[in-house]
Order: sequence, then structure tokens, then C-alpha cells
Amino acid sequence: MRSTPADIKQYRAQLRRALENQFLRQTLSSFTTRNRQRRAESFAGLDFAALAAEVAGIKENAISRLPELYQQFKQAAEAGGAQVHLAADAAEANRIIADIAQKAGCQRVVKSKSMTSEEIFLNAHLEAQGLTVTETDLGEWIIQLRGEGPSHMIAPAIHLSRQEVAQLFSRVTGRGLDPQNVEGLVEVARRELRQAFLSADMGISGGNFCLADSGTVGIITNEGNARLVTTLPRVHVALVGLEKLVPDLPSALTILNLLVRNTGMTQAITSYVTWISGAVPCAVGPGGRKEMHVVFLDNGRLALSRDPVFKEALRCIRCGTCANVCPIYDKVGGHNYGHVYIGAIGLILTYFYHGRQNDRVLVQNCLNCQACKAACPAGIDLPRLIKKTAGLVMSQEPRRPAKNRLLSMVLKNRRLFHFLLRRAYLAQKPLARGDRLIRHLPFFFGREHGFRSLPVVARRPLRDRWPELARPETEPRLRVALFGGCLVDFVYPEQAEALLKLLRGRGVRLDYPPEQTCCGLPALMMGEEDTAREVAAQNLRALDPAQYDYVLTLCASCGSHLKENLPRLLEGESSLAMQARQLAAKVIDFSSFMVEVLGVEPAPAGSGAKAAYHAPCHLCRGLGVRQAPRDLLKAAGYDYRAYEEEEVCCGFGGSYSLEFPEMSAAILNSKLDNVAATGAELLVTDCPGCVLQLRGGLDQRRSPIQVLHMAEAAAAALAKPRA
Amino acid sequence: MSPESLQTSFTQSLAAMGGRAQGVPDLEAAVAYAVRLTHEMGGRTLAAPGWSQAELECIQVAGQEAGLQVFSQDLRAQADNIFCGFTPANWGVAQTGTLILDSLDEDLRLASMLSEVHVAVLPASRLRPNLASLQDELQGLLQRPRAYLALVTGPSRTGDIELILTMGAHGPRQVYALLLEEAA
Repeated sequence: MRSTPADIKQYRAQLRRALENQFLRQTLSSFTTRNRQRRAESFAGLDFAALAAEVAGIKENAISRLPELYQQFKQAAEAGGAQVHLAADAAEANRIIADIAQKAGCQRVVKSKSMTSEEIFLNAHLEAQGLTVTETDLGEWIIQLRGEGPSHMIAPAIHLSRQEVAQLFSRVTGRGLDPQNVEGLVEVARRELRQAFLSADMGISGGNFCLADSGTVGIITNEGNARLVTTLPRVHVALVGLEKLVPDLPSALTILNLLVRNTGMTQAITSYVTWISGAVPCAVGPGGRKEMHVVFLDNGRLALSRDPVFKEALRCIRCGTCANVCPIYDKVGGHNYGHVYIGAIGLILTYFYHGRQNDRVLVQNCLNCQACKAACPAGIDLPRLIKKTAGLVMSQEPRRPAKNRLLSMVLKNRRLFHFLLRRAYLAQKPLARGDRLIRHLPFFFGREHGFRSLPVVARRPLRDRWPELARPETEPRLRVALFGGCLVDFVYPEQAEALLKLLRGRGVRLDYPPEQTCCGLPALMMGEEDTAREVAAQNLRALDPAQYDYVLTLCASCGSHLKENLPRLLEGESSLAMQARQLAAKVIDFSSFMVEVLGVEPAPAGSGAKAAYHAPCHLCRGLGVRQAPRDLLKAAGYDYRAYEEEEVCCGFGGSYSLEFPEMSAAILNSKLDNVAATGAELLVTDCPGCVLQLRGGLDQRRSPIQVLHMAEAAAAALAKPRA
Repeated sequence: MSPESLQTSFTQSLAAMGGRAQGVPDLEAAVAYAVRLTHEMGGRTLAAPGWSQAELECIQVAGQEAGLQVFSQDLRAQADNIFCGFTPANWGVAQTGTLILDSLDEDLRLASMLSEVHVAVLPASRLRPNLASLQDELQGLLQRPRAYLALVTGPSRTGDIELILTMGAHGPRQVYALLLEEAA
């Protein structure tokens, strides 16, 4: 049995050890980089979103009728002589399988890959009954020999280098093996395991699909081990989660196509796709037939399938991609980013399959960068479910954390909140020594927070400056409300001033509704949904979307929160639901507004400064805006320097960077290295949160690269002179 | 798709997955191909399940002439002694280079799994553009009370060590598809 720290200090210590393991860092980084490229190749010319929607539809439908599909499967499989079992939980599944082995007099078990067997710790149970269990998937065999669990759903030993594998195999075979000869290492497994296959009397496989109409188990492999596991021994047990049920073969083939491509294997199909119905011929089996069992595992799945929110998690087809694209996984690997199930889906499933204690701090380790959501082949809104899971975990704690209670109290009261922000200016003034950045953080921040300098709260917030700044447009063609967000209002009012300069003479009337407050995203990120709902309502009372053509934001996070979360938060409030949808429809980010609405002309002569771009997670994935900022940068006359990982998170994630400063620093450092490699003088982005993180990190590096909000970068070249 | 373009596409797709497709005029030529291949690679045995009596005789004669042992049944007894698996295949899928083998017969399964080299034979007329175009046929096979249906695309492979693609994990190291071009 594995256990994941339930204590944040212990967990952070574990993360620090992983971050310091250069070997692991290198192995992971080469894996994720290669995987990203290969995945992109796999989908060249295909419409990923449309394919994912199709898979989501198939799974959604199947999940809504699992009991019916199970009965149908059972009937068809039993007609072919198979025995079908339903295990309510892990203990029962283990018992069923051990009983099968005992009744059939089995001694030696060979297994092909099954995450479900990992979920129930089947090997440990069977070994305790005196059975010999051999994993036959190369990666699984490697980790079995090392006494580890898988660090990835489809590449279980991807945290290991060839050197480590060579060492291990040298020990197993008793002769020195060359780590550079990977083929030779694979040959060791082929030879050693062939004997295990031939002498086994029981084979245990997983299953990727269970076809209800024909009682068929479908298994995909590249190595061919599942074929041997299901053929050579006289008994075959397929252990599958109930959510693997689909109505028929066409449904399975649609999923198969996306599953294989999404793993980044650069194949359209795996080497083997095997479909088994009933008790097939087997020369050494009773009566010349295989003793065939299919064990379905419930373990909370049926309850999940009835949950209006969490049933979405059952759509998972176990492709492992939510790990591959995750900037946190990229730094620490699956053993430090999951319990049994790893990656984003692991943060959710751990709670339901392995309990609150194992998920307690793990579930907090999410940046909400949305990379997993964008890559999920079943369209699961993983970041949302992770926050919902965090909320569940919190609701069962003896009391909510102090920081949550404090945040909720302050956010709900705008006057108090803004009063405290103004006070912060006075409190930090001595630390800044007249500078805009605090380089040496006060003692109550631990040393681990020193990876970035922090900005000073502005002397006068935007809301106080507004009456002097705004010039009423006499005959506006567009009426626009600015949603400032806390950072622009209280820390970076100059970003809004740049916007005002840019709008001059362009026929836009820009209002700053003064009663607006925090968008509420920070509350949602801390699992405080009620607080998020309360401030959402306050904002709708402050800003009536009916009076405006657009609601403009300079903050990508506020923007995507208003667009995506607000309607969801308020859908049950009859008086505000409509208004929330209206607001969502009018929200627009700065770059899109400039390029698509105002259609700015390229500057006659830009500075030509070399500028790199950082794509905020909530802009490129949250709002789906990709082209406009790059177009604007070029229109403003910059020498745009593209780099490979523009859309990878900067590591800010709001309060994440305070909870997990070491992770935040590691992710930020990769970003800054990539930017530095472009030779850029400027780093431009369109979210004040990213500005805070990037500027603070560059300052600590004493880097000359300057960070600008897109509005500031554009104003420098595109603002019209005062009339 | 025309028969020629199906064959070209199948050949390219299979090659991309590390296998090889080759047109042959008739079964006799296919047998000669497999026997020569086995002989050249230093193999001593040929496992040939799934053939009619007449076809098997032809295989046995050619195999014995080249000094190969030919097995056609009870392959479990030869489990660690199968060099070349010589089997029929039911269909080929041009888009992916996939061979489809109705593998209910255990000996056919063993020949295609335990061999070092798998040579599958199918009429070129049984190539189809994609899996979707075979859905009805495959569903028909699965609807029988018992079925073991195998989709085989190239040799056995793994990427479990540092994602480095390596051929020949637990199944055949090489896969050949011989396409019978004789008039249907």
C-alpha cells in the first residue's frame, strides 16, 4: 500500500527532493518535450476538438447507462462461456481473483498492463496468497523489479534512464549490460519473460474497452504481451473498471483512434488491438477451452456516474496526456504527482478511489493553467474538477483553513478589502526603499519565496485616479466598461493608463464602474465557491452589461473567469443568471479588442525592439485567444521573437505560488531560460499576474530584459498624439 | 479507391510501422517467399496453421525441400521452437497497414505471437480503405459466442525505455504481408 503525504510540509519536502534530482529532471524534460512534438505531429490536419467532442459524447452516453450496459455485456459474455463478476470494491475484486486462482489450482500468474489492478493493489494481495506474479509489460516489469508503482499511466517507467534500467537488468541477469544498447535491454526482457509466459497457469489483463453488445474485451498493446497473457495460460482474468463499458465496436474504434494519437506515440494505431469474446479454444484448458473471467470493478464508479458534476471524471480513457502536458508533472514526475493515478485526473480520482487523506495536499498542487483541459481527448474540464475536489476535501476537514476564512470574509466586503489594499501601500513602503519592487522579502516570507521580487502596491489605485484620467468621448461609437481586476487597480494602474492613451481618438467611451471588486477567481481557486458567487453578484450589481458593447479586461484571468465561471456560478440565481450570460458574451481581452474590434493599423515606424511573448494560460486556453496578441505585437513594430514553449505557464497561478513556491520557481525558471534564449530585450504578455511573476523573476536574476503588459507595449508605438 | 492505390497505400502504411508488404502472383509464390526468408535468416522451422489440406501439402513440400520443419497443429508443443509463422489473414487496412486475423484457432494465434517472423498472406482483393469500412464484418465476427480477433500492425515494439522505439518486444520482430494478386 502506498501513501501520499497528508501534510503540506512533508509533501513540499518531497517535491523539493524531486526538484533537486537532476537525473529525474533531465529524463522527464526530454520525455515531455519529445512527447509534445510527437503529439502535435499525430494531429496534423485533424480537428482535435471535434474528435474530442465525439469521444466525450460516446462516454457521456455510456456513463449514463452503466448498469444496463453491464447486464448486456454479462449476458453476451456468459453465452460464450465466460464468467462475469462485479466487485463492489477493491477488497472484493482481490478476493474474487484470488478465489479463481485457488479453485483452478493456479500457482504462477503473468500480467499485462492494468491500471485497475494498480488501483486495488492486486499483486500484493495475490502474493500474500502465495502466488507468483510477474508483470510482462516492459515498463511494468522494470518497476516491479524495483518495487515501485507506475509513474505514468502508459509509460510506467518513464522516470528512469537507460542507465538505471541497465543497472537493474545487470543485477537480474548477473552480467554487465551496456546502457547504450537499448535493444539489448529489451532483449533481456523478451528472453526472461518468455519463460514466465510459458510456465504460467493464469493470465491477468486489463481492458481498454468492454463492448456491451457482444461481451467483448478489447485490449491494446504495442509489445504483444497481452496477446500472450490471454493465450498461453489456461485461465484468463480480465480486470476492468465499469467505465470501460461502451455499447459496441464502432464506439470503441472512435475512442481508439483518439487514444492512440493522443499518447504521442506517432502511430495511428497500436501494433496490436485484440478483441476477445467468451471462452476461446485453449488446448490446456478444461474441455479444450479457456477458463475465462471478466471482473468488473465498481469501487465508487456507479456512485460517480450518478454525480452531476463528477461523473465527467469517468470519461477518462487513461491516455496519460494530462500528465504529459502538465508543467508540474514535467518538473517532478508521476511519483510526486499522484497517488496511484497520476497527473490531473489523478488529483481527482485519488479522492474517490483512495480516500481523502491521500488527496488532501496533492489536490492543491494545481496551477489551473488549463493545459490538461485543452489536451484531454474526452473533453474533461480537469482544472474545474480538481478545484471541486479540493472543495470536497476541505468540507470534510474539522475546520476550514484560516486563510480560507480570512479570504472569504475580506473578499465579501469590498470596502474592507480595498481599505486593506490601500493600507498595504503604507506597510510595504519601507521595504521598497523607493523602488517599485521589493527585492528582499520580509522575514515572515520563508527563503523559498525569494525567487521573485514582489511589486509595490500603487500609491494611488486606478479607481482614485480615474476621474482625472478619463476623458469623456462626446460621440462614442462604442461604449465599453473596463473590468480592472485587483492587480491593475491596485498594483499596476499604469497598464490602464496605457490603455486610455491607446483609446484616445478612436471613438471609444471607457467607463470604470467604481463599485466593481475582485472577480472572485482567487476564492474559487481556494475552493470557496460561495464567496466566488457572492462577489460575482456584487460585480453584476456594479456593472450592468446591458449598458455596454464590450466589457474589456487587461487581465486574462479575470477575463476567462468572467466568461466561463460567472454564468456557471450564477446559473441557479434567477435574478442574475441572465445578466451573467450577457456579461460573459461581452467580455473581451485587450489584444482582441485592439485587433478585431478597433482594427488598429500597423505603426508607421515601430521601435524594432526584440520582443518575446508569453501567452497567459487564461488567454490562450481560457479565452482561446492566440493570434491577436502576436498580430498586435507586430503591428506595434516590434521584432517578434517566437520560441517553442510560449504557451507554457509562467508558474504564477495566483495563490499557488505562495502555497508551492519551489514549484512556482522551477516553472518560472524554465520560462525565463526559454525567453532569454531568444535574445529578446522585451518580454510582453497580457495578464498582470504573469507580469508580476515574470518581472519579479527577472529582477532576481538581475536580467536586463524588461517586462511589459501588452497595453504598455502597444501604447509606446500606437497611441495617437493628443489632439 | 482503386485496387492499385489500396495496395500502394497499404504498403506505405505498413512500412511506416516497420513491416513490409509484397505482391505475389499466387500462394505457391507466397510459400516460396516465406521458405526463402526463413532459410536466409537461419531459421529451421515454419509454423503453418489455418490452411486447407491441399494448401498445407504445398507448404510442406516446399519447406521440406529447403530442410525446414513444418508444423501445422499442436503448436504449444513447439512453443519455443517457432521461427516463422506462416498464416492466412482475413483483411488488410490500407490507411494504417493493419492485418486483421480471425484468431479463434489457438494454433493460428500461437504462430502469429511466438514466431520471430510472421508472414501473413491475403488476397489483394481483401484490402479495405480504413477500419470504419470493415466495421460490419468485424462486428459480425465478434457477435459469435466466442471470438479472438487480432488487429496486427507491424512488428511488436516498445518505447518503455526513454521512449526509444525498439522493435521485437514480446511478439514477432518482423512482419510481412504477402498480397496475392491472382484474379479473384
